[in-house]
Amino acid sequence: MDRLIHTALASLRGAMARQTVTANNLANVATPGFRAEIASAQAMWINGPGYTSRASASLGVVGADMHAGTINETARDLDIAIVGDALLAVQDAEGGEAYTRRGDLQIAESGLLTTGDGHPVLGEQGPITLPPADRMRIDSDGSIWVVPRGGDPETPQRVDRLKLASAAGSTIRKGVDTLFHVPDDGALPADPDARVSTGHLEQSNVNATQALVAMIEASRSYETQMRLVSTAQTLDQAGADLMRLPE
Amino acid sequence: MTFAPFDIARSGLDAQSMRMRVIANNLANVNTTGFKRERAEFETLGYQIVTAPGATSSGDNRYATGLNLGTGVRVMGTGRTMNAGALQITENPLDMAIEGDGFFQIARSDGSSAYTRAGNFHLSADGQIVTTEGLPLQPAIQVPEGAQGLTIGTDGTVTAVVAGAAEPTELGKIEIARFANSAGLQALGNNLYGATSASGTAQVGAPGAEGRGAIRQSALEGSNVNIVQELVDMIETQRAYEVNSKMISSTDEMLRNAAQIL
Repeated sequence: MDRLIHTALASLRGAMARQTVTANNLANVATPGFRAEIASAQAMWINGPGYTSRASASLGVVGADMHAGTINETARDLDIAIVGDALLAVQDAEGGEAYTRRGDLQIAESGLLTTGDGHPVLGEQGPITLPPADRMRIDSDGSIWVVPRGGDPETPQRVDRLKLASAAGSTIRKGVDTLFHVPDDGALPADPDARVSTGHLEQSNVNATQALVAMIEASRSYETQMRLVSTAQTLDQAGADLMRLPE
Repeated sequence: MTFAPFDIARSGLDAQSMRMRVIANNLANVNTTGFKRERAEFETLGYQIVTAPGATSSGDNRYATGLNLGTGVRVMGTGRTMNAGALQITENPLDMAIEGDGFFQIARSDGSSAYTRAGNFHLSADGQIVTTEGLPLQPAIQVPEGAQGLTIGTDGTVTAVVAGAAEPTELGKIEIARFANSAGLQALGNNLYGATSASGTAQVGAPGAEGRGAIRQSALEGSNVNIVQELVDMIETQRAYEVNSKMISSTDEMLRNAAQIL
């Protein structure tokens, strides 16, 4: 049996995985702050006796596209869009620090400030819990001001400041919880110059046109690899025919 | 036989059609008094780890990158935008609008309280201030028959000149409920909202105090739906639906190809 068929099979699998990544990007074309994932194949050389003549493709998600998404005005007090490439610090499911671009904040029953997908937002001193308040606002530097219940509207109090971190010069990786993590439980330093724009929301950065092109590409590559499988079949058949005894 | 791209694209189609439903409801309520627009909140579904980064590939070699495949998207909830709608001045003395934060408190037929921003009240047959559905305002205010010049102050005091009297008499005080997180209220239909654990309990008190809005008589708060915004969202949703359905046909083509060649 020719090994061509195995090389082609690895690529077939890769093309389907790539189609899956593109499908997920397209499905999240309207998820706030979503970062498109980039799939890329790399050659896996198979070292054995003889030539290293074959390399099968191994597909991986190499990372996320970190370009900023479009920012839309929403006029909602708890929607923030992060200006520039800073990230908002949140708590992940294990209690560690992770980062996101998602800015549709919500207030839970207990007063805990969370992102739209339920991760507690971190401030200078850990998760932010808002006291019962008549009014609240988020400043452009991420400071949260509240007018306590029954308090003087002219003298708001500062509760905390959103932790906005800069990923410049550090390695961050997108985890399966769609948050960005620093490898080995590290944390990014807070960026005092980071700014947010309240009443705005950053959309998904998935470029639909690009994703459609990637989709067609994956589809065509699948077709090509399938032809190789069929060629391998023909070759095999030809070989078998040669060996056949004349009748 | 399952192929992931189909299911992922289907989750995208489902989520977009759900969003379209929310937009359709917003547009349908463009003239509903006190209506607050809603928006669909999207969330990514779980990820499937096919190859973990750093896993051993062969011998001492490790995969430099992992293969984590997403499984799509879902609508996790609808968020309500609580900003005020435009005030319209009417001639009806029983029309009220809340300028600022807060809700009118309504007694439902099962005895529980509901909350509304729609201030188009009426008088019932026995002189009580009720909503269009006939549910009484809480605390109940009785307007005697033949009362003239019904006046509602910004602090909620209802006065009227009762038949036979020269001076206006106070009939009662309208109270307003406020919530720590009014976006967490549950919509009950008929312009009513119910308190939930997410909204917190109602803090009832006089209008115009402790952050509660003041009452303005003979005015109604319009819907806060912005038609242009909804139309833009509608086009966006339609396009997103389109690309997801393209994904289904493209994956279908891949599989048809496989079936034809082999």
